[in-house]
Amino acid sequence: MLWIAVHLPLLSLESFAATLAASGSDEAEAERPIALLEAHRIVSANAAAQALGVKAGLKRATALALAPQIVLGQADAERDAQALLPVAHAALAFTPAVSLQPPLQPGAATDTVLLEVQASLRYFGGLERLLAAIHGALRPLGHLVHVACATTAEGAAILARVEPPPCCTDLAATRAALAAAPVWLLGPGREHWEALQGMGLQRLDDLLGLPRAGLARRFGEGLLVELDRAFGRRPDPREPIAVPPSFESRLELFARADTTDQVLHGAAVLLERLIAWLAAQHAFVRRFRLLMHHEARWQSERTPQATALEIALAEPSRDSAHLLLLLREQLARARLPAPTLELRLQAEDITRRAPPNAELFTTTQSEHEGLTRLIERLQARLGPGRVQRLVALEDHRPERASALCDARAAGAGPESRAGKKRRRNGATGVAANPSPPAGAAMPARPVWLQAAEPLPERAARPLLDGRPLQLLSGPERIEAGWWDSGLAGRDYFIAATPEGALVWIYRERLPLSRDANEEEAGASGWFLHGRFG
Amino acid sequence: MDAVPAAVSTPPRRPPLPALRAEREGPVQARVRPAPETLHPALWLGHQLGRSPARAVATGFAALDAELPDGGWPRRVLSELLLPHPGIGEIRLLAPPLVAAQREGRPVMIFDPPADLSAAALASLGFDVDQLLVVNTRARVVPGSDSLWALEQALKSGHVGAVLAWLPPRLRAERLRRLQLAAHAHDGVAFVMRELQAAARPTASPLRLSLAAGGADRLRLAILKRRGPPLEAPLQLALPPVLSEAARRRARSALQAPARGLREAVFVNLA
Repeated sequence: MLWIAVHLPLLSLESFAATLAASGSDEAEAERPIALLEAHRIVSANAAAQALGVKAGLKRATALALAPQIVLGQADAERDAQALLPVAHAALAFTPAVSLQPPLQPGAATDTVLLEVQASLRYFGGLERLLAAIHGALRPLGHLVHVACATTAEGAAILARVEPPPCCTDLAATRAALAAAPVWLLGPGREHWEALQGMGLQRLDDLLGLPRAGLARRFGEGLLVELDRAFGRRPDPREPIAVPPSFESRLELFARADTTDQVLHGAAVLLERLIAWLAAQHAFVRRFRLLMHHEARWQSERTPQATALEIALAEPSRDSAHLLLLLREQLARARLPAPTLELRLQAEDITRRAPPNAELFTTTQSEHEGLTRLIERLQARLGPGRVQRLVALEDHRPERASALCDARAAGAGPESRAGKKRRRNGATGVAANPSPPAGAAMPARPVWLQAAEPLPERAARPLLDGRPLQLLSGPERIEAGWWDSGLAGRDYFIAATPEGALVWIYRERLPLSRDANEEEAGASGWFLHGRFG
Repeated sequence: MDAVPAAVSTPPRRPPLPALRAEREGPVQARVRPAPETLHPALWLGHQLGRSPARAVATGFAALDAELPDGGWPRRVLSELLLPHPGIGEIRLLAPPLVAAQREGRPVMIFDPPADLSAAALASLGFDVDQLLVVNTRARVVPGSDSLWALEQALKSGHVGAVLAWLPPRLRAERLRRLQLAAHAHDGVAFVMRELQAAARPTASPLRLSLAAGGADRLRLAILKRRGPPLEAPLQLALPPVLSEAARRRARSALQAPARGLREAVFVNLA
């Protein structure tokens, strides 16, 4: 058995930093002093804060005196657990046996994930490559990661806290590395740290040399049990974690977010967690929801408002950049009633399938996917229904013979029906286009259709822009629509303007049936209906 | 590499370069300056038509092919068309390259068409109507930037086979320039339609045409800008006919006697 322990030494600081608003560049991010409080004392501080003299154990007032610009947050075990879960999910992409190491102190959040990888070594091409792959998968989550390997689970968890974390692939090396580890890395050892130090017991091999009965009497059975598990002398079964069937993660923002940019910064953190959850089960998301809980506007408002952004994808995706882009466009359109305090990301609708092949050159598949993404992006910004497809309908009235429908609805069945239709249309197009047989072909239709525009008449000729039209072809009678409200009885002509542009005009067959007020407006029965583009 | 200096110093010993053999009249000049198009594809002389490395798309009109650089509509750049109003035959002019893109299985996008499109008319021009994507950007309350944003995204993505766009009037030059830069990533033809008044202002696109109706089923096409010398006389193109032969004859005879109609119109205006 080979265990990999992933230890996050700065987990609680990082999970707190994720709730802060973005401060521009990465350098500014690194220079901002941050510290966490528990019971009015500093428990951890980042590098920038430590450079200013803030260290664990100081009182809140002392820390503020040392660094007035310091950002102080409360340690929150639940928040840390929320942040650790995506790390475990990301690890599930490498082995099904992923478990969480119980915390050193009861009540604190766990900060170590254990992976049993013996069975995965061959598939991933050896330990070196597997470790590199794990580092790569964890990088988007933005944590500082210490990784150690050992042949026992407990041993790996202990060694991950050693600086620098060693990598031992056999039992002898594991025992040797553990023997040099300090005593307080054992859970019960930390409890009895003072007593152990007083007895001059600094390292684990100091404990090994002592009589077991005496150790058990002085420090309890727990110390021996843990020691034996670490050294591989006692079985150490672990319960692997299971992936929840639906995803939900929340992020309580430290400062209220007034702008969509600040909301987006928090949403990006949640999106990375979503992607880790998707990667754990080889799935792609089809729709997800971002809930924003707003600040109460009045004291009396019991349940503050929440805004939900629903994002549906035409093509299931796991690409964080693409999802973030869609979210950005949706957020730019959304109106937020009040500053946001908390973000929540939910997803249930997923689809499982093999990941797409990486291709060197563009293929039909990648082209289709790229087009789908483009349409999604345009629709996210312009609004649904702004990207449309033209559909031919069976109707003789020209204004009802074509319609526009949502591009996404038609694009759902990608190639089967549309492809067949295209081939058929293409064939008829070839036959009809170059030389339409006179008389036999369908009568000509203009490309541009407009709302019927009444034309005045002078000397029995219709006028367009005050100039007479020359009738060239016609009449073509279209009489349809008695079965619905749009009765049309029209005689269509193709006419030429004095410059020679062709227009499509018609004369109403039943002028008497039209309203009297249109008659007053000088309607002669001639209408401009289209132009031949 | 050293062929040209060697040829200058000892002319009789080496056979003349094939490109130079045709120009025996000015042997000294020709030998010192080889034809620029042999040196680099982006070079050409002022009296020649320019050529670009990306192959052009045939226009479907032999007379127009002969006048365009590379013999067709250029890829990866904007082709600007100025027309007084829609409906003078512009779709019939542009149909061959757009249909060719659809035949290759690549989508065609139409941005902000000025009126409703008729599916039957497009199908008779050879279009696969189901695969046409129509993007309407101006219906939004905020005008201007959004329509160009969508067009720029489509050009940049490189997944669109051909683009046909109607630009808003009085477009600023730098916006067009931005689109022209985005078009470098677009492997296909891109046509932008603008109003006739834009001819007075400079353009970033390397090809600019102005269209006008030239009689029934005919189009008068002037090349205002191209990589090459200016074209003096506008071209007359015969479009795929809408009218029958008899109707076209009637139209010709009506247009050939325009004086009477014109006088009538003038008379009417004065009255």
